[in-house]
Amino acid sequence: MELIPPVILYILVDFSIYLIVTLSLNLEVGYAGLPQFGRVLAVLTGALVAGAIPGRLLALMYGLPYGPEYAFYEYNYKVVDTLNTILEKNPLLSVTIFIFTLVLAMVLGAVIGYLTSKPAIRLREAYLGITLLAMGDVLMLITYYYTPIIGGTTGVSVVDPFRWTGGARFYVATFTLLGIALLTFLLIERLTKSPYGRVLRAMRDSELAITVYGRDIVKLRTYTLMVGAAIASLGGALYTFYTGSCIASTYTRVTWTFWPWAFMMLGGTGNNLGVMFGVLVFVIVKTLIVMYRGLLAPYVPFDPVWLEYTFVGMAIVLIAIFRPQGLIPEKPIFTIPRKKIEELIKA
Amino acid sequence: MIPPIAVAKAVAYADSLALMAAGITLIYMCTKTFNFAHASFVTWGFYIAFTLTSLYGGSPYYYLPVAFIFVGLLGVAVYVLVIGPLMRRGASPTTLMMSTLGVDLVLLSFIQMFTDYLTRVFKLYARKIVLEVYDFDVFGLPGVTFISLVVVVFIISALHIFLVRTKFGTAMRATIENPNLASVLGINPDVVYLTSWFLGGGLAGLAGAIASITITGDPTVGSRIVVSMFASSIVGGLYSIYGSVLGGLLIGLTEYLGIMVLAIQLGGWVAVYRPVIPLIALATTLLVYPKGLGGINWSRITVRFKSLVGGS
Repeated sequence: MELIPPVILYILVDFSIYLIVTLSLNLEVGYAGLPQFGRVLAVLTGALVAGAIPGRLLALMYGLPYGPEYAFYEYNYKVVDTLNTILEKNPLLSVTIFIFTLVLAMVLGAVIGYLTSKPAIRLREAYLGITLLAMGDVLMLITYYYTPIIGGTTGVSVVDPFRWTGGARFYVATFTLLGIALLTFLLIERLTKSPYGRVLRAMRDSELAITVYGRDIVKLRTYTLMVGAAIASLGGALYTFYTGSCIASTYTRVTWTFWPWAFMMLGGTGNNLGVMFGVLVFVIVKTLIVMYRGLLAPYVPFDPVWLEYTFVGMAIVLIAIFRPQGLIPEKPIFTIPRKKIEELIKA
Repeated sequence: MIPPIAVAKAVAYADSLALMAAGITLIYMCTKTFNFAHASFVTWGFYIAFTLTSLYGGSPYYYLPVAFIFVGLLGVAVYVLVIGPLMRRGASPTTLMMSTLGVDLVLLSFIQMFTDYLTRVFKLYARKIVLEVYDFDVFGLPGVTFISLVVVVFIISALHIFLVRTKFGTAMRATIENPNLASVLGINPDVVYLTSWFLGGGLAGLAGAIASITITGDPTVGSRIVVSMFASSIVGGLYSIYGSVLGGLLIGLTEYLGIMVLAIQLGGWVAVYRPVIPLIALATTLLVYPKGLGGINWSRITVRFKSLVGGS
């Protein structure tokens, strides 16, 4: 029985994960004006949490190996298999471990954001961008070669908190992801319309002015990098749970930094609704390329898989030149006139 | 402890890094663009040396000028099509940097397609390139070490003469100092920017072709060492070509020999963490002395040193 064609589920999953990551990027780039070229750093943090921690916790509970040997491939698949059969019969435990991991991923994401903010306070524009990019690259490199955390080059399997739903696993997982993504959207939308969001925009437009008004730029930047990284880390953890495996080489700067940038630029930098639209368009086009590139194969003397890169790269350049404001441009937020507020207070 | 051949290879690597950093710095000084497409520029230089050597034979050294000119023209194309229009609209440095990332993705995909094309049409295995076999020996050391040193010295001298002795070079420096004032004096900044992209791209191509003789390559070779390139130019200070060359030599030698020393001391497992070294250099420079090597006032230091020596 197929209620929904698999391709739609695939699009929904990609959309949810990239929506979360791109929204967090938009908070930092679109609202706060920080050149976040190391988004992959926080996403990878989330993936590390989901790949390394819930399985180990359960292994500890059930007396299975949980030390460095948990990540070695000879043990890992056996341990995770055993744990999955336990989780299959225990929905409550599954949900608890799922939520616990997501919260932990956000906390550790915020910690990473705090650490990256240390150089960020002193550096300007492109210097900061390069530093962040290099940090992301290095964390990927280290976790790819260092086996005890997530198995290094072999990766690890991840416990499946959706196993108890049986045949409906992919539907439940997909719609959980979508739900969390939409919740994140509402949260960020609310956050960016709050006084905090308005201060961020003011900081982006003129740091001098906002300093004159007595705001601490260092604090604002630190806070934004922490919130952004926490949300991106949530995205990474969800992706890892969905795929059921975790290997550092998935988290390259192209897929988790440049793609979200392209999505954000297409939709409209500094506009959450635009970002959502941009992610949707991109994910659909990307899926179509994946589906139909096989048809092209006989006619070109190369593997059509590379067309995806050409497409994203061209999109970035063309948007930057011809439509820098994106498809749905940022709109000013109108506050209620003072008279109306006074009336409201009286009433 | 460290064999001489390793030192020779480290020098060749450091030389190519110095040329890459010089290109990045030249482009940044003139157009305020952190050129991420440098990664693909270098890879294109790499593949030009490989393709021409494999198809037409001879030594890879014959094709260094071809790599310079071809990738230089690629740089011109990027300036004319992308950076120029963005600069005229007053785009922010972040937008400029992001657009070069887009260019890098496009160029990378072209290299991948070209690699497939070489494999299918010419039956060349182009996903793992070793051109070292074409190199010659000088006293038991690889020739690329000496050639690359000569190239670096030549390029630095040529750039120095170009920037200091020629009229156009003076105009270029004036534009770097103050574009508005320079254009009042009848200098066309557009031509200066275009030239900087030609030279910067050319240096990247040259560096890539030299690197092809000493390191093993695949289509992602440029993006693997792009962090080292940026570390070099930032250690160099981003405002001086001489500084960037020094930075490239410093980073190249530390990275290559440093990891070797560590591997001997701690064991072979550290070798894979090699890219951490340039990151540490980059972070330290930015946090401790962001002006970099190019920002050090050497003449003041020598004067002080002389007075110290004279006083004692």
